Amino acid sequence: MSNTKQIPRRGTLARAESRQALGFVSPALAGLALFTVVPVVLSIVMGFFNWPTFGEKTFVGLDNYVKLFTQSPDFWPALRNTFVFALLYVPISVGLSLLLAISLSARIRGRGMLRVLFFIPVVTPMVANVLVWKMMLQPQGLFNGLSQTWFGVELPNFLADPQWAMIMVVMMSVWQGLGYNMLIFSAALEQLPESVVEAARIDGARGFRMLWSVTLPMISPSLFFASIMTMITALQVFVQPQLLTGGGPGNATQPLVQFIYNQGFKFQELGLAAAAAWILFAIIIILTALQFRAQKKWVHYEH
Amino acid sequence: MKKIHVGAMAVATAAALVMTGCSTGGAEASSDTIVIDMWAGSQSDTDALNAQLAIAQEQNPDLKIELRTAPWGDFFTKLTTNTASGNMACVTGMNSGMLSSYTAGFAELTDADLKTAGLDPADFAPGSEEILSNKGTMYGLPFDIATMLVYYNQDMLDAAGAAVPQPGWTFDEFEATAKAATTDGKYGFAVGMGDFQWQALPIAKSGTQPVETDGTLDLTNPDFVDAATWYSGLVTDEKVAAPVASASDAGWGETQYSGGNAAMAVDGTWNAVTYLDNDSGFNAGMTTLPTGDNGSLGLILGSGFGIAKDCENKEDALKVLGSLLSADAQDYIASSGRSYPARVSSQPLYFESIDEQHRDQVEAVFTKAFEQVEGQKVSDNWSKVGTYIQPQLVSVYNGQESMSNVLESAQQQFGE
Repeated sequence: MSNTKQIPRRGTLARAESRQALGFVSPALAGLALFTVVPVVLSIVMGFFNWPTFGEKTFVGLDNYVKLFTQSPDFWPALRNTFVFALLYVPISVGLSLLLAISLSARIRGRGMLRVLFFIPVVTPMVANVLVWKMMLQPQGLFNGLSQTWFGVELPNFLADPQWAMIMVVMMSVWQGLGYNMLIFSAALEQLPESVVEAARIDGARGFRMLWSVTLPMISPSLFFASIMTMITALQVFVQPQLLTGGGPGNATQPLVQFIYNQGFKFQELGLAAAAAWILFAIIIILTALQFRAQKKWVHYEH
Repeated sequence: MKKIHVGAMAVATAAALVMTGCSTGGAEASSDTIVIDMWAGSQSDTDALNAQLAIAQEQNPDLKIELRTAPWGDFFTKLTTNTASGNMACVTGMNSGMLSSYTAGFAELTDADLKTAGLDPADFAPGSEEILSNKGTMYGLPFDIATMLVYYNQDMLDAAGAAVPQPGWTFDEFEATAKAATTDGKYGFAVGMGDFQWQALPIAKSGTQPVETDGTLDLTNPDFVDAATWYSGLVTDEKVAAPVASASDAGWGETQYSGGNAAMAVDGTWNAVTYLDNDSGFNAGMTTLPTGDNGSLGLILGSGFGIAKDCENKEDALKVLGSLLSADAQDYIASSGRSYPARVSSQPLYFESIDEQHRDQVEAVFTKAFEQVEGQKVSDNWSKVGTYIQPQLVSVYNGQESMSNVLESAQQQFGE
């Protein structure tokens, strides 16, 4: 098995193998082409057309984009709602799950159990989660019932009040997504190299100092990953407002994706929907790129 | 190079497989097959459709007829994509409330077409021709007809000592009953969120629809605005109905009623049997919409079948349509109690299918309710109007917005 013997054979073998490999991946490639590349390209094209579901499709250039920004009464509110949601959701979700992961990293009793408990909302279907939250939040629900019997105070109609509705959507989403980020952080915390931690301890690092100067920099790649993924899912939020508040009251909690859904599937304006989807895509790409640029300052990959 | 060919073959085969997989759902499974596309939410729905298909098959032994179904919500999404890709089934189910968005896919039904189908509109209940018509063009004929009723919880009314509503009752009596039944954290009435459910009382009270005959939106019609304001006032002023909890509660009034939280709610005749046999176990009753100074205008709604515009085999499709609406098929629908048939001669069979203790009431209320009905008028963007108004209604019912403001801004936005 010496190197010299293999060199001449490796070329042909590798070529043969890569051909075979191509054969094996071709179903996947075909699937990718059919279900990803084609729709993506089609949606770019659609964005430049007035594309009703049936009837004449006409090329309108940038009209769809102009229409969105200048005429559509729901587009700016939807954009605003998406940003409000992301600005509230990302820091709270990342912060809380980090706190949970750190609290559960100490070897306390029953922490496995607690981790499972916090992870349950991630694996239960969103529809069921929303149903439970609705039963708690509506005027005849749990919270208002308890508050009235205990304190005689009538709580606001949470999901029907423009301000409260958004707060409740964020709260429900944080609760729903907490376990996932917690799991990522827990895994990172478990893998802190003993030697570094020990060295820091010998140098006298304790408590907050330890956390800020040693632990956080060490798990910064996980933090980076979690915040990017959380930001992307936050900008794509749809199910929670759709099911919990229906985008209402009015359009107070209608995010961009729900706007796109309504345009495309309720109003059958596929061109407008495609244009809005590409705006969302651009926003996500730009914000992700900015985060990647910023990571050089605070993410440390080498231990 | 051989292996590359193998790879390319694999790609081609996979692609071919996927593509044929996509198109088997299409109408042209084979060109001499007539496909019927209809919504069906459960096995019993599908069984009933198959029974009607069997009737059609028996009447047209030389045709191949095939049934395609999807649940209500998916049906219209699928219809949208099928229409866009030219795969709309020759005989396609349609509902009066949804037609305006799909008129482009349907062929006009002319008198000659009806003759080919063997159908005479005179055999159907008055107003039936309007159900699947849009701006004077008829696209289909209904197999069932429906209108809106007030349902009440007999037990709650008895407990509150409120008078039991009689067909032909007035709006004053309605308010008195709602007030009397609002006690102990329960409400006398539950407001609706769906277009039909919330608009039924304002339309009955004002005697006018919020759309003109030519499809022009008329949401700011003063009579309608007044009646709609009175309606939302049931929550905000009279406090005889609970404020809606969330804009996602599309069936608020109906679930409040069937859950025993409200004594009355407005819903369609299509749910009459469901409410009579409700799971909560209360004694349910029904009556007509109340009558006011402007009468008691109701909408005649319903579902039926139309023919796809690009159907290649129109004549055969018309024959299938005729069979699906024939007396035999209508008798089947009626006697199974599934819905109230559009064909007049089949209607008595529907009442016979109702449990004996409710039969007289159902027959009396239905007969009275269909006396003063007209076809629903909708604008081209009616589904947009509905989608806009529904989440706004939550703010109206919670007193943060006025009904007249919402109707006015909807009129401004969608009026042209």
